[in-house]
Amino acid sequence: MRKPGVLFALPLIVFLLAVFALPMLIVAWYSLMPGRTFSLTAQPSLDNYRAILSAGYERPLMWSLIGATLTVAICAVLAWPTAKILHHHAGRWAVVVTALIALPIFISESVRMFGLYMFMMPGGGILAGTLNEVFGIRIGSLLNTRVGALLGMIYIHFPFMLFPTLLGVAMIPADRVDVARDLGAGGWAVFREVELPLAMPGLLIGGLLTFVLCIGANAEAAILGGRAVTVITAAIESRFNYAQDWPMGAALTMLMIAATALIVFPVLRRIDLNRIIRR
Amino acid sequence: MSGGRHLVFLRTAWVLAILTALYLPIVSVVLASLANTRYMRFPHRVWTLDAYRDAMASYTTWTIHIISLKIALVVVLVAVVLGTLGAMAYARYQWKGRSLFQRALVLPIFFPQPVLGLALLLSFSAVGIAPSWQTAIVAHLVWIVPIVTLVISIRLFGYDPAQEEAAFDLGASRWQVAREVTLPVLWPGIFSGALFAFLLSWSNLPLSAYTSGADTPLPVWLFTRTATNYSPLVPAVAVIGTVVSALIVLALVLLRRLAAR
Amino acid sequence: MTSPSADTTPRPAALTLTGLTRVFDTLRAVDGVSVDIAEGEFFTIVGPSGSGKSTLVRLLAGLDRPTSGSLHLRGRDITQVPANRRPTAMVFQSLALFDHRSVGQNIEFAMKMKGVPPARRRERALELLSLVRLPESYYDRPVTQCSGGERQRIAVARALASEPEILFFDEPLSALDYRLRKTLEVELKELHQRTGSTFIYITHSLEEAMIMSDRIAIMRDGKFVQIGTPAEIYARPMNRFVAGFMGEVNILPVEGGLFTDLDQPAPGAAGAYGVLRPEALQLDGAGAVGFEAEVAQRLMLGSRTQYHLTRGETKFIAEVPGGAPVLELGSRARFSFDPAAIAWVDD
Repeated sequence: MRKPGVLFALPLIVFLLAVFALPMLIVAWYSLMPGRTFSLTAQPSLDNYRAILSAGYERPLMWSLIGATLTVAICAVLAWPTAKILHHHAGRWAVVVTALIALPIFISESVRMFGLYMFMMPGGGILAGTLNEVFGIRIGSLLNTRVGALLGMIYIHFPFMLFPTLLGVAMIPADRVDVARDLGAGGWAVFREVELPLAMPGLLIGGLLTFVLCIGANAEAAILGGRAVTVITAAIESRFNYAQDWPMGAALTMLMIAATALIVFPVLRRIDLNRIIRR
Repeated sequence: MSGGRHLVFLRTAWVLAILTALYLPIVSVVLASLANTRYMRFPHRVWTLDAYRDAMASYTTWTIHIISLKIALVVVLVAVVLGTLGAMAYARYQWKGRSLFQRALVLPIFFPQPVLGLALLLSFSAVGIAPSWQTAIVAHLVWIVPIVTLVISIRLFGYDPAQEEAAFDLGASRWQVAREVTLPVLWPGIFSGALFAFLLSWSNLPLSAYTSGADTPLPVWLFTRTATNYSPLVPAVAVIGTVVSALIVLALVLLRRLAAR
Repeated sequence: MTSPSADTTPRPAALTLTGLTRVFDTLRAVDGVSVDIAEGEFFTIVGPSGSGKSTLVRLLAGLDRPTSGSLHLRGRDITQVPANRRPTAMVFQSLALFDHRSVGQNIEFAMKMKGVPPARRRERALELLSLVRLPESYYDRPVTQCSGGERQRIAVARALASEPEILFFDEPLSALDYRLRKTLEVELKELHQRTGSTFIYITHSLEEAMIMSDRIAIMRDGKFVQIGTPAEIYARPMNRFVAGFMGEVNILPVEGGLFTDLDQPAPGAAGAYGVLRPEALQLDGAGAVGFEAEVAQRLMLGSRTQYHLTRGETKFIAEVPGGAPVLELGSRARFSFDPAAIAWVDD
């Protein structure tokens, strides 16, 4: 008998190899090429990587990583109570509210950021202008600041943290909390010992997704952070466009991929997607 | 305990705050579009729909919508086909290597899109392909196909494969089994997957930004016009683009409702 | 292997199995099974889990191909014919109803595959609904809204709708509760009598098989251990495995013409072990062989009372009618049996 599973998987395997694995290999190869050239047939070397270590790429990389971590943390803190309220206390509103929170995901990031920009613009912006007109207050602007960029990242990615957290909260059987209370646990202990561990798969997925989506954080940083912020992807892009240094850009890209893989693989290994979907 | 009412108030306030925070920027887009001055000054002196009229008359508006649509349509078609095949491999059959396949499939979703876009741009250039709306399609597919596969796979959990054997036993050919038993079970997932694919492709920014080259889909155009060269035409186009995608989705949902009668 | 059937007139063979074998890697799941199943017979294959009975029925239905051996339907070789072209239908263990369709659509499926027009299909479906004792109003009902017993009947109706020459049942009642099972056992038996088709039934419960079948085959490790009518299997089991399948029995080893556990002669001993059913042990001492034992446990089963007895190292089980005087726990009592009630086996 033929093996139907393998046959069905074949088109996808070919597809992923061609458009996901292959580009990674090409980038990896490019990163070993001599800098500032377009050749693919030169002698491979690790020069680019050495150059990265000496040049000042740590700052953009750090900003990307720190920014992403901060975003995940703040989104988690915002998402948890929201998820609990929706799951336990919302009753018939739960569906409507959840749908409303989901809706912005399907509105383009570019639209939402444009809106945030308009909102935060000093002088004639929506917030500044209204405050000025109605209350006579003049405020500064969060644009072109790190905080502004961070706000943008939180705004865009909050729904991505919320939904897996909702799933996680839904995975806490109500009786566990009752048992814990019955055995004398106070609010914080219940959270730490019962709720958090049981909701962990959802939290991990949400955190991972948010982290990965933020780590590029290109658009938010560019628009809302302006000159105050250079994220690593912007640095890579400038290598490609302005410096015309593709091998170096490729090396930086490999660095990003390595950083991402280091975070993603251990976490994914701990989660069994099957189990979660089955719920 | 006087906690009860306070808590309800706090909870409601919290949720309302979250919703407000989520929608203020979106509302801001609409507000920004209702002006006719070339600089942003809110509240507007004159509230008008001029920007929309200009947007509708502009050739650029038409072009960017068409490009977004071309990309999205091809993405939906390919994603649905590959996704259905993948879902069968993901959830219907047991086979050696399936768990590796399941994990590998999910990787492109947990991958920073700008990095993916850059890697694809580099690869296309390495093989001599110039970026265009077609390369954008490929970029979108990389992360949309796994998502659609997962969406369709959900329909297969709790599915009793003995149904297919029963149909076969009762005289159906292999093709009839697929058409009468397997596809009807998959169909709602395929439909949702198609909608997802459409919306995700239509709204995607980071992948399109790097791989669409000279062709500008809507989000990329919007992005380049956000901090520079402002005019109320820009938010007007943003609103139009969003409404168009919503209308398309609604139309498809209604069509399906009608077809089911 | 086959016990002579004295009470049925020979009927033509509907299905002939010859040396049917199915090997998975090194496991011989079905190992050289041969039997002639008669036209219109209710033939049940009984065996514990892992005996190969499900594999066997899948071979018969055409859902799997045998490694060797052949299968003939009224003389025609159907060994290589796939299931969708065999004039047979199966009721699956999980029922495998089409959850996304209605009751009527399920029943009509086979007819739809054959191209029967909708009006005629509906007519026949309604006929079958009443045959399996379901109301006509169920025709449009989604199957997911039906109860366990109803789903059973729908599965049977769906199989019957394909006008099969042979109907297979793969442990269809094992998931149901006791009362529903008892009801459906009787209904299936009546269905068999009304349709006159050949039924081949798989189960792990000999009790279920006894109620419904014309003949029973006991299966172990891929082989048929004994084939016979319910009465034959019950009264003349071929070995301890078959004897013990029905439930608890008393096994009395015999050596040199003596019951070794009772230190008494074994008149007419014809084997290494004597199998004695619990109900053959009587309290009145009328039987030729008797012994004393202590009452270790007493279970009231309604129409009869079961006693667990100990005699030194040996344990016995006796069942007496419910009206008999009740024995106290720990008391000693005298039981006896008639040697003619013993079934002799060699292993």
